[in-house]
Amino acid sequence: MRSVLVWFARLGELVFKQRRDMELAAEMETHLDMHIADGVRAGLTVDEARRRAVLALGGVEQVKENCRDRRGFPAVEAMVQDVGFGLRLLKKNPGFSAVAVLTLALGIGATTAIFTVVNTVLIRPLPFKDSSSLVMLWENFPSCTRCPFSAPDFTFLQRSQNSFESFGIFQNREFDISGNGRPERVMAARVSASIFPILGIGPLLGRTFIPEEDTPGSNVVLLSYGLWQHRYASDKRIIGRAIEIDRQPYTVVGVMPLGFTFPIAPILAGSVSSSHPAELWIPMAFTRTELQGWGNMYNSDVIARLKPGTTIAQADSEAELLSNRLTALYPPAVMKALNVARIKVAVYPYQQEVSGPVREPLLVLMTAVGLVLLISCTNVATLLLSRAATRQREIAVRTALGATRARVVRQLLTEGLLLAGAGGALGLMLARWGIRLLLSLAPPDLPLPQQVSIGLVVVVFVGGISILTALLFGLAPALQLSSLPFQQGLQEGGRSATSGRVKQRLRGALVTIEFAMALVLLVGAGLLIRSFAKLLEANLGFRPDHVLTLSLPLPYNAYPKAAQIRSFYQQLLEQIAALPGVAADGFSNDLPLENRDSEGFQIEKSDSSTINRSLDATWALGNYFEATGISLSEGRWFTPEDRADSQAVAIISQTLARRFWPNEDAFGKRIRWGSSPNPWRTVVGVVSDVNDRASGRARVYMSYLQVSDDVVQENIVGEWRSMNLAVRTRTDPEALVSAVVGRIHSLDPELAPAHVRTMTQVLSSSVAAPRFNTVLLGIFGGVALFLAVIGVYGVLAYMVTEQTHEIGIRTALGAERGEILCLVLRQGAKLVGAGVAIGFFAALGLTRLLRGLLYGVSVTDPVTFAGVAVLLMSVALVACYIPARRAMRIDPVVALRYE
Amino acid sequence: MANEKLDVLQGTLALMILKTLEVMGALHGYGIARRIEQTSGDVLSVNYGTLYPALLKLEQEGYIASAWGVSDNNRRAKFYRLTRAGRKQVQRETREWEQTTAILARFLAEEKS
Repeated sequence: MRSVLVWFARLGELVFKQRRDMELAAEMETHLDMHIADGVRAGLTVDEARRRAVLALGGVEQVKENCRDRRGFPAVEAMVQDVGFGLRLLKKNPGFSAVAVLTLALGIGATTAIFTVVNTVLIRPLPFKDSSSLVMLWENFPSCTRCPFSAPDFTFLQRSQNSFESFGIFQNREFDISGNGRPERVMAARVSASIFPILGIGPLLGRTFIPEEDTPGSNVVLLSYGLWQHRYASDKRIIGRAIEIDRQPYTVVGVMPLGFTFPIAPILAGSVSSSHPAELWIPMAFTRTELQGWGNMYNSDVIARLKPGTTIAQADSEAELLSNRLTALYPPAVMKALNVARIKVAVYPYQQEVSGPVREPLLVLMTAVGLVLLISCTNVATLLLSRAATRQREIAVRTALGATRARVVRQLLTEGLLLAGAGGALGLMLARWGIRLLLSLAPPDLPLPQQVSIGLVVVVFVGGISILTALLFGLAPALQLSSLPFQQGLQEGGRSATSGRVKQRLRGALVTIEFAMALVLLVGAGLLIRSFAKLLEANLGFRPDHVLTLSLPLPYNAYPKAAQIRSFYQQLLEQIAALPGVAADGFSNDLPLENRDSEGFQIEKSDSSTINRSLDATWALGNYFEATGISLSEGRWFTPEDRADSQAVAIISQTLARRFWPNEDAFGKRIRWGSSPNPWRTVVGVVSDVNDRASGRARVYMSYLQVSDDVVQENIVGEWRSMNLAVRTRTDPEALVSAVVGRIHSLDPELAPAHVRTMTQVLSSSVAAPRFNTVLLGIFGGVALFLAVIGVYGVLAYMVTEQTHEIGIRTALGAERGEILCLVLRQGAKLVGAGVAIGFFAALGLTRLLRGLLYGVSVTDPVTFAGVAVLLMSVALVACYIPARRAMRIDPVVALRYE
Repeated sequence: MANEKLDVLQGTLALMILKTLEVMGALHGYGIARRIEQTSGDVLSVNYGTLYPALLKLEQEGYIASAWGVSDNNRRAKFYRLTRAGRKQVQRETREWEQTTAILARFLAEEKS
């Protein structure tokens, strides 16, 4: 209470500082006068009285100083002084200041850019209500881990739980919007009515779905802000009107607000098309077929909100109970067909699910960028240490004049903070630019990229690391300088042969650390680069050049019957084949590099036993293999004669052949999609493995002509009515886009072909994520190398300057030039060598973090380790050679006269 | 001669100033110093380097207030007087000080016996 009063009093006196100083002076004068008067009254002479009074009073200035300390805030004023002095000093050494600030800005900027992304993706809560209590549920059984839910399983879940407040289910879809302008294919989602209350997001206009609408036949739709804006010109009267989705009228009931993104991208990670957010939502409305499909169609994601106070662990144990009851509920025949003993339901936090695929790379990047920051700190510390030597004298003078050690340290730290502050400000600007660069390089499965922005948290973070860096690099020189007895400082500043061994050792240690960290970063970058090269070199198993691909789904309402679907695809194939420049064309339900769900198969072994496996399956139509360039190693292709009524056939990949029929001919063996009554298919050909990376290489190809009509016209999965076209061209595939789309529209003007890309583009986006990591870590490694080299150069150059005198004496005493060169180089080599050795072991420990990101390279790849060590040492040697050569050329006469 | 005098014990100067002002009413700095020295029977010497900072501190804490006035022999001087909070503070500190000395006295008595 009193202290607040005092604080205000001090503040007040700060304002009237000058007047109070004058008052105090007057008061002192009165005091002195009174004292003298008393002395005179006691019989002293005026002079003697004055002498005694002054003696008794003590130093007037001292009294004033003591009073001044009581007024205002001396600590703050001292800081203002420190800052002023620091600024003057930095201005006086513009070269030093610029290098230090730039180095720091580089470190802080890079760290901030990466932190911003990490903050958005891994730390900041999702843009939904109370997102920490949102969880995702998965089903697990041996042939499918982290499987989405099927409709009956979800219905059971919803009925029988009590740890969760509510459940929502959703499914990514694509739809054609036609009528009212150009037909357009958009990302969409089927969602249960409960989704919007769970997420806690309301509509911008109209309403979201009501539970009654979550039944088949209620054709209602919600639009995204973006779609509403660009296709319907932000017309508010759209509510209640009908729009045409897959050739069927749907009534618009609401528009969602800007920025509402759901489902969030990586839930379907792997499928390239899923990176665009949904633009419209329709009710989940499970059909009767779906609800009765036990053991089928595990294709919907489940999200739930925990009841208040429920932990993940509690929800998990509840899920355990549910798993048992669900398993008991499964029809035994289905369990047998699936070849599982138990279905397990698992619960994970939603945030973790969303960030899952990018968590590891981001943490690696965060570590890397942290190292860069440390290196830049170390660098500035060595710079400051070098400069500290020249400031020894100044500090000694200050100390001699009565500055306490704390005062000197404070002064030096203030200078550090100034540098760090400038570095931080510049770094923030660099970061803004860096984030833009980062996002342009970012892989498509980075969640919510459009929302990455510098927020308050990040600014606080920058402030924090700036202060931290200032302490890191400022403290060492400050403590060292201030600990010197000032006599020594004054003497050493005068004349000395070799100065401050301790200081040199500290600088050397810093450079060693710097090299160790640089080695770790470069090894990481090197491993990723080698892995990336392997990735590009890898035999793809198909020829991606000169291929145009697009997806062409046929809406149920326009093409309800299998005959219509077959005839459309067949006609289109013939028309495109007739186009000039087309070499081959074919359809399949998936394309290389875009793996879909796998299917259950039965495989007949040579001893007639069967085994059940989940394998990747592709249905091909036309000259699909020729169009994609998958090569045949044995047997034959599908022919038009492979029809529904002829013998059922299959083509398998080499890996599959080797796995199930090792050491024998797979030709003529039998395999069955699903189970009886589906027919056994005879293997008629073996083809090269398509290197899909994400999925296995065991793949079964079946002829589209041999799929039954029921399957083709089926509309729930819709796989056989949304085929992908692959066209091999003789010329630039992009030149054929308009001709191919023209053919499609000549058959049906309302169709919207989607994902029109060349295979080269698909390939490039499939390596986007590794490329992103490689480029970034490469940049960090390069920056680290650059900084470390500057560091060792700076230290050696400074050593040579300091040792000019010593070297002069040595030369004068007959040392050879070569010996001098060796002397300096040896000093450099010792620092770098130690750094490389330490870094080597640190890297052995740290590269384990990279394991999940490497392809075809071990985390302790000797080539990378050796290569990086050699690179680092040779670059360091060059950096050392420049000061060494200068040392060699020192003229003894000049050197001795120099001091 | 002045050197042989005792310096004012740390922490007691504030109470001496307050008590002096309570007894004497408004007084200037020189007067306060003089009065303390006289009261101590010229045993104590008030170091002026600590007197004025102490006065400033008390003023900041609101126990005393100051105003410029004219002294007995017509000099302009700054007069300090006790505030209401100061009066309470004198009582409080006196009580505390008496307690301290009583305790200390008991300790010293024990030592002797």
